[in-house]
Amino acid sequence: MIPVLHTDRLELRAPRAEDYPDFKATFSSYRARFMGGPLNAYETWMLYAAEIGHWDIRGFGMWMVHLKDTEETVGMAGGWFPARWPEREIAWIIWPDKAGKGFALEATNRVRHHFYEDQGWETAVSYLDPKNLDSIRLAERLGAKKDKDAATVDGSDVCYRHPSPAQLRSSQIADGIALEIQNYINPLFQPKGFPID
Amino acid sequence: MNLTQAPVLDTENLILRGPELRDVEPMIAFLLDESRSGGFGAASNRGEAWRWFALNVGHWHIHGYGYFTIEMRDTGEAAGLCGIWNPEGWPEPELGWSLYEGFEGRGIAFEAAKRARQYAYEDLGMKTLTSNIVPGNDRSVALAERLGARYERTYHNPHMGKDMLFRHLGPDEVLE
Repeated sequence: MIPVLHTDRLELRAPRAEDYPDFKATFSSYRARFMGGPLNAYETWMLYAAEIGHWDIRGFGMWMVHLKDTEETVGMAGGWFPARWPEREIAWIIWPDKAGKGFALEATNRVRHHFYEDQGWETAVSYLDPKNLDSIRLAERLGAKKDKDAATVDGSDVCYRHPSPAQLRSSQIADGIALEIQNYINPLFQPKGFPID
Repeated sequence: MNLTQAPVLDTENLILRGPELRDVEPMIAFLLDESRSGGFGAASNRGEAWRWFALNVGHWHIHGYGYFTIEMRDTGEAAGLCGIWNPEGWPEPELGWSLYEGFEGRGIAFEAAKRARQYAYEDLGMKTLTSNIVPGNDRSVALAERLGARYERTYHNPHMGKDMLFRHLGPDEVLE
């Protein structure tokens, strides 16, 4: 029921119970400080259960991102729309020891394409902590722009609006993202982004 | 629409079924009403309450069990929650229950809890069950004792704080 999505290096699959330890390691760490963490064991488990339940309730949700080569998980990416969220969000998290390899860009670009082209979304936002420079940089590499007029979740976040489906189809944004992803796979150039932590 | 693989359990007056989309609003109303859900784990805002609904669905997927919605057989109304709960940090799988406004005092929780206990032993193969009750929740203590459960110890629950653990009758004592 939950589709499996592929990219050059990644396979995006439904989150399963056996992936929970990887999720827990990140959400109980400092890495989760911009996502309400670090969380204790109980809170982490409850959040993971909510991520799974979100799929059934909304019909979309967060995929577990696996490396095609080794099957290991590197993070999550997908859509997030719990109660109180003003709009459907595109979200991502990469485990701290997997950062800096372009996985968030590759996974998020893929899920956005799925939401736009397969699920008919006409727009999408990402709610980011203004201190989360890695994520803001990634949003900008994805072509998203700060939307000052849009509602935020609780005022402590900023809303970045992604390019529309039409903008992605008919501009250089998509080509630029594809080029950057290819540069990670075959690094002719150093990528523009690098992790702070 | 079923959101989980939960079975449908019958009692004389009740149907215990998995969470469905039509349960979202009644459950949120219950979780936001601290006078009713304080002993269960109230939510401080709508987002938190929605998340609880979602994580119960996820609980079903992860464990294969969770909270059923208690439905009145005659009217189809949702009367509350009952089921088996075991998130990380819980001492043991718990038999839990809570009723929505207007459904107390009619034996509904007893009837539902008895059926859920049977399900845990018969269908899930559990060998023992507990119920965690916060001090002061006398109605739940009375129901646990009516079900034959005995107070065992007080411990610190990661969500509820100081909590009393009651041990239920085992499968040999309740299965026929």
